[in-house]
Amino acid sequence: MLSFLLAAVALAPANAPAALGADTFTLKAAHLRLYGNKVVDGGVVKVEQGKVTYAGDAKGAGELGPDIIVHEGWASAGLVAARTWSGLGGEGLEPKRPFTAEARAADVVALGHADFARARSEGITTMVVALSPANVASGITTVVKTDGATTLARDGHLQLGLSSQALRTNRFPTSYTAAIELIEAELAKPTGVWERVRGGKLSVYLDALSRDEIQRAVALASEHRLTGALLRAPLAGELAGEIKKAGLAVVVGPFGPGEEARVLASVTALGRERVPVAFGLESPNSPEALLRVSAAMCMRAGLDPVQAWEGLTTTAAAVAGVGARVGKLAVGCDADIVLWSGDPLQLTSKVEGVFIGGVQHESKGGAGHGGAH
Amino acid sequence: MAAATLVATGESKDQTSWTISAGRVYTATGKVIEEGRVTVEDGKIRSVSKGGGGDLECYAITPGLIDLSVRIERDLSSIEQSREITPEKRIADALDWFDEAWKREARSGVTSVMINPLERQVVGGLSVVVKTAGESAQKRTVKADSALYGAIGSAPSQSNHPAFGRPDDFYSRRPTTRMGVEWEWRKAFFDAAMAREDKNLAGPGTLELQKALAGDLPLCIQAWTTQDIRTAVFLKEELAREGLGKLRLVVDAAAEAWKEPELLVRSATAAILPPFSATGRSDDGSFFALDTAKVLAERGVTIALSGHGARAASERLCYQPGHAMRGGLAFDAALAAVTINPARIAGIDKRVGSLEAGKDADLVLWSGPPFEATSAVIGVLVDGRLVLDPRTQNK
Amino acid sequence: MKMLHTTTRAAAIALSACLFASAAAADGKLAIKAGRVLPGPGMPELEKATIVIENGRIAAIGKDVKVPWDAVVIDAPNLVAIPGYVEAHSARGMDRPNENLDVAPFLSVRDSIDPVGFYFEDSLRWGVTTINIQQGNNCVVAGQGVIVRPIGLTVDEMIVRTPSGVKLSASPKMGFSAATQAQALRRAFGDLRRSLEQLVAEKKEGSDRARREALYQGRDLEGENAKGKAMEGAAWKVTGFELVPRGEIDEKLVPLLALVEGKLPAFFYCGRPMDVHTALDIAKENGFLAKTTLVISPAAYKAAGAIAAAKVAAILDGAAVYVETDPLTGEEREVFVPGELKKAGVRFALASANPTTESLWFQAAQCVGRGMPRAEAVAAVTTVPAEILGLGKQLGTLEVGKFGTVVLCSGDPLSVASWVERVVVEGRDVYDRSKDVRVKHLIGGQAPANTQVMGASLLGDPRKVVCCEGEDPEEHAKHEAEERAKKDKGEAEDDK
Repeated sequence: MLSFLLAAVALAPANAPAALGADTFTLKAAHLRLYGNKVVDGGVVKVEQGKVTYAGDAKGAGELGPDIIVHEGWASAGLVAARTWSGLGGEGLEPKRPFTAEARAADVVALGHADFARARSEGITTMVVALSPANVASGITTVVKTDGATTLARDGHLQLGLSSQALRTNRFPTSYTAAIELIEAELAKPTGVWERVRGGKLSVYLDALSRDEIQRAVALASEHRLTGALLRAPLAGELAGEIKKAGLAVVVGPFGPGEEARVLASVTALGRERVPVAFGLESPNSPEALLRVSAAMCMRAGLDPVQAWEGLTTTAAAVAGVGARVGKLAVGCDADIVLWSGDPLQLTSKVEGVFIGGVQHESKGGAGHGGAH
Repeated sequence: MAAATLVATGESKDQTSWTISAGRVYTATGKVIEEGRVTVEDGKIRSVSKGGGGDLECYAITPGLIDLSVRIERDLSSIEQSREITPEKRIADALDWFDEAWKREARSGVTSVMINPLERQVVGGLSVVVKTAGESAQKRTVKADSALYGAIGSAPSQSNHPAFGRPDDFYSRRPTTRMGVEWEWRKAFFDAAMAREDKNLAGPGTLELQKALAGDLPLCIQAWTTQDIRTAVFLKEELAREGLGKLRLVVDAAAEAWKEPELLVRSATAAILPPFSATGRSDDGSFFALDTAKVLAERGVTIALSGHGARAASERLCYQPGHAMRGGLAFDAALAAVTINPARIAGIDKRVGSLEAGKDADLVLWSGPPFEATSAVIGVLVDGRLVLDPRTQNK
Repeated sequence: MKMLHTTTRAAAIALSACLFASAAAADGKLAIKAGRVLPGPGMPELEKATIVIENGRIAAIGKDVKVPWDAVVIDAPNLVAIPGYVEAHSARGMDRPNENLDVAPFLSVRDSIDPVGFYFEDSLRWGVTTINIQQGNNCVVAGQGVIVRPIGLTVDEMIVRTPSGVKLSASPKMGFSAATQAQALRRAFGDLRRSLEQLVAEKKEGSDRARREALYQGRDLEGENAKGKAMEGAAWKVTGFELVPRGEIDEKLVPLLALVEGKLPAFFYCGRPMDVHTALDIAKENGFLAKTTLVISPAAYKAAGAIAAAKVAAILDGAAVYVETDPLTGEEREVFVPGELKKAGVRFALASANPTTESLWFQAAQCVGRGMPRAEAVAAVTTVPAEILGLGKQLGTLEVGKFGTVVLCSGDPLSVASWVERVVVEGRDVYDRSKDVRVKHLIGGQAPANTQVMGASLLGDPRKVVCCEGEDPEEHAKHEAEERAKKDKGEAEDDK
């Protein structure tokens, strides 16, 4: 059972700015997921002005400070969704024009959108807002936090569509060949977003569905030395070697309970080949809860639980380009912490509290909020 | 009864050296070896001679079958339809190497295939010849840019429509009739020829059209009906007459070539024939006479048979020579029509098409006389690798 | 001035007339002297043998048989004589394969067979001489079939036996689900039972409703039809049925009753493995399992074990090689279905996949190619279907006493290079390929006289060289002169 002992701060709804100093406290949790496979029992996290200054066992914690939150369940870094359509309000889709490379999700996303509140209630604190796969070049993703206020990276990745959904029969290009020629022609341009891509300053998201599309995407990335990740790419596991050689990651999911065994086996194969795997969403079209469900489905199909956890946190953060700030409980990282009723890798665990930048936010949908026991 | 006895020598899945013997070895060079043996080393044919025994035995061996119109890549995403003339586009860039059709063709005895762009385009682009099995796309590619491919008939104009009201897509364009299709062809070649002198007239695809005009790149035109074959041949003759170039012409799916065979003879055009139809009626309103292969072969036209990637087992390339023989084609000519002839047409006869020392080890093992309805393909080797194992064929 | 008829029916009628050389020989004697005779699967081959047919039956067959002085002789030293192929089940040759009604056993294909359709002449062309025409598979209980010989201009001339059996389908008809289909099948027999019980009850009450209805239907109520007979069902019976005169049973129910009493064969279509179980259940529940033959699509091979256990024969209606896609991995697999049936111990006959290039000869040849002994492959298109149709004593082999139905091939009958050259059906010489204009058209692309081929050149003989555009002007002038000379000569002859 949950019990809060709050010295000074009352549980206030989100969006109301917290009192000065509210982003400084110490958290004592029965179990602490730091990163990777590092779990500390009876761990302590010290937060000062929204940054983590200590995360580890109680012994090395030293002075705990006046504000102490004790949580009898688990605590971990907030989850990172490597792909979502949250906050776009249905925009971000421009199928009539194949090339909208300069379009920015950051210009469209509404940080205070209800989608993000829902994501928070599922323990997700960082999201990469991506665009429609129905264009050859959809635009530039953005990386935001679900606190309704923070943008981590205005420009995340250039999203390219190499699946049959990016092609049309009634507008140019209608063929894979022309789509790739177009991208290569753009890559040769001296200025603009493509120049940044060429120089490695901006990574790419390559959307591909069938195996031959994945093959073409990987070949494109290898030839032009693009960094980034494949999106969706079910059955990418059958090309794991080539993906590894190209140095790409894969953003998989979302997977539901009825997912094909072959697709889940593909994720396991990627994990075995040490291809970085991150989990993504298609919210609001599907529930945010699927992020953890995806990880659970993959674990059940044989994915290493450590890789599954990394796919929800550190790898996703690395793919998003914000691995230094979020995804793990470590000194110097943002204090994006989620309190769980149990191990977050278990689907039976619920969100019981969400801190973003050290400030607690409303996370309706979790178990106990309001009232101490 | 098919003999598939084995003298095991501990081979692995990647074995590329074999000794295979058969009651009859049809080399497609004109020679048939009774009680013959083919030795394969590292994926190449080492020797073809008399002898028995070996790792595998069967009733007959032929070279791997070659299909120049196998129609594996049939997805609309493989052709760029925003323009009707796209000679620079390569179908090789759009291949789906994971399609089950490759395996289907390979286990039916087809070892090399030419993939062509769809006939929806007037000029679809560059074809490619690949092996139906192998380790990687590069290793399987036998000849890149093997032909410039296009179509004459009703297919290229079918998706276009005249502009009624405001056009909202690029299909409101020429050609909408056969006349338009022919106009596009002549204009494309004319512009390419003019671009030799005036570089400003060059555009995407000019280079490929010029190569075709120079005769360096074979030009393959799909034309089912006699009027379309006529148009193709007249196109070649007109360009020659006007001094614009000498095309090396091949007609694909020349179903009605039996009507005016002289056209193909006098223009030295090769013909790829489509799969035979049970009623004779075939695509684009054509009638495909059963003796077409015989009529053309008698007059010296180089013919190749094709299977169009049929899914049903009884319609595949290995049964097409049987239909041709029923129509009167001699066995040797039927064998050539699926082996050395398509190899020559595609310009790959240095590597494949016959059983000769030094060529690729692409072999088909038969349970009876090749192409007979009572025979089955029981073994296939591509580059010396066993794609269909005669020892596992259930009896 | 030639009249160009565009109706294909006209062409077919004209053609059928050409095909019948001497229909009168049925009552006379016919002798075939063939270079080789293959009398039947597993039987010894005969070199240079003679077959003598009298009154439609084989009177003698052998090397030293004397040819009767009054026999018409077909001298074929280069041809191979084989028994005609037997098509155990076909839904072709009719106006339409199915009626809209779910349960319509009172229909007969006899009313929809089109004797001059291309199907029957194609059958002759490819050596099929006996066909069991049944309704198509889109039904619950369809009508009765007819066994025909593919010759004649009227259905009556064609009939060998009628009725040949009732067609049923365990596979859902269009718009039905598997459950609905099974329910409809059960209801058909349930309705029969209820109707029969009602008849008995009415008789006991003294009602004559059934008699009045029968009179209204114009049924014959005299003689045998006035008597009642106890029901002979093997699985269920209606007690007291002898009270009902047979003539008073609704004619719509009579065929189903005959089925249940074990008097009529049943041809039960199964499109999927699960349909096999439905079919066997229904047949067992209603007592006609012993007279049931399953018509299975290649996909149903997976239920071969159940078919063998029920000891029913099967007719494979489709290609011998079944291409399956694994739903989980997407991989394609090819299954040689007759091999699977043989392994499970099922007695099976093959059926044509199309009336021409994949007719029965091809199906048998495919089996040989996949390793089946030739005798078994040939049996599956001759003796086995003959037995299934109850004509085992009349057809399937060339033996004394059997029908004089002989096909003469230019070579090995299972070879792609062989043509059917002559066909004799029950002593009548009915097909001669040298006179078959349409096969010439198929081979050479030449249109038969008085017809117009679609797409043919209207400029005249399609084989003539087109010598207008692009030709050398001297050559062109020469050709023109030649053409003019030919035309002048032709006109001169006409004037004579």
